[in-house]
Amino acid sequence: MRGRGNQSRLVATGTAIAVAFFSVVGTARAQQRPPTAPATEVRETVQADVSTRTVAVTSSFTGVEIVVFGAVDNSRQPSAEAGLYDIVVVVEGTPTRLVARRKSNVAGLWVNTHSITFESVPSYYAIVSTRPLDELADPLVLRENDIGFEYVRMTPIRGWETGVTTAELEDFKSAVVALKQRDGLYIEDQYGVAFIGRSLFRASIDLPANVPVGPLEARIHLFREGRLLSTYRTRVNLRREGLERFLYAAAINYPLLYGLFTVALSVGAGLAASTVFRRSGH
Amino acid sequence: MNIYLPIAEMSVNAFLFLGVGGAVGFLSGMFGVGGGFLMTPLLIFAGIPSAVAVGTESAQITASSVSGALAQAQRRNIDYRMGAVLLAGGVVGSLIGVEMVKILRQIGQFDLFISVAYGTLLGIVGVLMLAESATAIRKAQAGMAVAGRRSGQHSWIHGLPLKIRFNRSKLYISAVPPFAIGAFVGLLAAIMGVGGGFIMVPAMIYLLRVPTNVVVGTSLFQIVFVTALTTVLHAVQNQTVDLVLAALLMSGGVIGAQIGAAAGDKLKAEQLRFLLAILVLLMGMRMAWNLIAPPDEIYSISPPVGAH
Repeated sequence: MRGRGNQSRLVATGTAIAVAFFSVVGTARAQQRPPTAPATEVRETVQADVSTRTVAVTSSFTGVEIVVFGAVDNSRQPSAEAGLYDIVVVVEGTPTRLVARRKSNVAGLWVNTHSITFESVPSYYAIVSTRPLDELADPLVLRENDIGFEYVRMTPIRGWETGVTTAELEDFKSAVVALKQRDGLYIEDQYGVAFIGRSLFRASIDLPANVPVGPLEARIHLFREGRLLSTYRTRVNLRREGLERFLYAAAINYPLLYGLFTVALSVGAGLAASTVFRRSGH
Repeated sequence: MNIYLPIAEMSVNAFLFLGVGGAVGFLSGMFGVGGGFLMTPLLIFAGIPSAVAVGTESAQITASSVSGALAQAQRRNIDYRMGAVLLAGGVVGSLIGVEMVKILRQIGQFDLFISVAYGTLLGIVGVLMLAESATAIRKAQAGMAVAGRRSGQHSWIHGLPLKIRFNRSKLYISAVPPFAIGAFVGLLAAIMGVGGGFIMVPAMIYLLRVPTNVVVGTSLFQIVFVTALTTVLHAVQNQTVDLVLAALLMSGGVIGAQIGAAAGDKLKAEQLRFLLAILVLLMGMRMAWNLIAPPDEIYSISPPVGAH
């Protein structure tokens, strides 16, 4: 319900902006005649922002949906449905170290036998686009810009070659992506970006409850006919707030006090229950 | 109602964990065990990272054991001298155990170790207890006197030095076996996220021949202090104690433990042991199954140890 409300509001502003753009671009185009001279053409660029710059992770955090909205400057498409442009929104979490392990059957038991440590793997990776990536641009372009699950930047630590072949490394990489997808941390929505005017577009991205806390980087790529025209970068801060922040900070910075406090709480809880029951029980 | 766990970094249903805490607490009070051998696997099955499950569970066992131990103290069921010897061993075992957890996690074999440890220990203890209690129940039903403590019987334990008189247990034995049992249990507490009652209770009954009525209280006494120490050590070494999760489990657990202690009084000792044996065995089999059954997913990912 809330989402629909937002949408209609956005559509309203979208049409307003679109109308504004239309009149500006329209007059500009009327003056300079044939669009066959690329030298004089104004190159399209993209600008965007996110609905929530700072997401507070509190005790009631159950995930959140952020909306990325933006506009194509100097848009040349006649309508939202024209499909001249493609937008790809990539939201990436902080790169973190990660160990991937593989089990094999050793004498009837399933045991971790192979492992690779990755120096950095994005903790979260959401990719939302106007249409499937393979229709939208060349694999080369996608690879160059880290767009798509196949091109997520994962660097194994030095010395990974011991005991693992290059082919196995690729298996490990796709396993990491698959596991992250299963946890809802790597998400893909091939039709998640919608133009709602000649130049205005919006996309919504789910941050699940288990999203690792930290800054997220959002990249908004503008494509036309498979060519990357422009990229806009912005950030979303995911911060612990309130009690969550206090407890986490205490656990990391004052582990001894935190531990003692936990024990005190445990003993207190036990004593309290015991007292209550002695009064009521016997 | 969902609540976010700051250390486990996930959102969980508060009522689910309150309920699990209550149910496990009930069993804990009834059998005089910490309940960790049920709770830790349940937490892992619920998706809590195994290290956080182990660390947090120590805190929860402290809470449920305090109320259980107090309930037993009111019934004068604790041998404090025996408890102190068990505790001394427990401290040593716990220190070694927390260090072992760190090493096992570094080499990626912590989950394997947990499954093997649970499968083996719970399997052996479960079978032994089941056989013993079944015999006892049959004898009781046949109207035969349950074979009590054969105080005259001597074993190798009586040849050991450092003999101490344990008045409440009516024993005069060496301090070495209780210390060793305590140390072993402390080790398990740190590694498996258990109180260790399922080892300590039978060990005290069958090895030390401590009277059954004192066993439960004394083992709870040791568990309180060892798990409290383990909680602090895990918090300092691994930062894997989730206070919010612990509070949820505790709230359910302490209440369950009190009800369980009262319920336990109504059952005969051999019946209690029989029921506990079945529970122990089932959980052991479940954990062993993890090792034998082909996994759904042969790959796994985790943050490296020390990069929290």
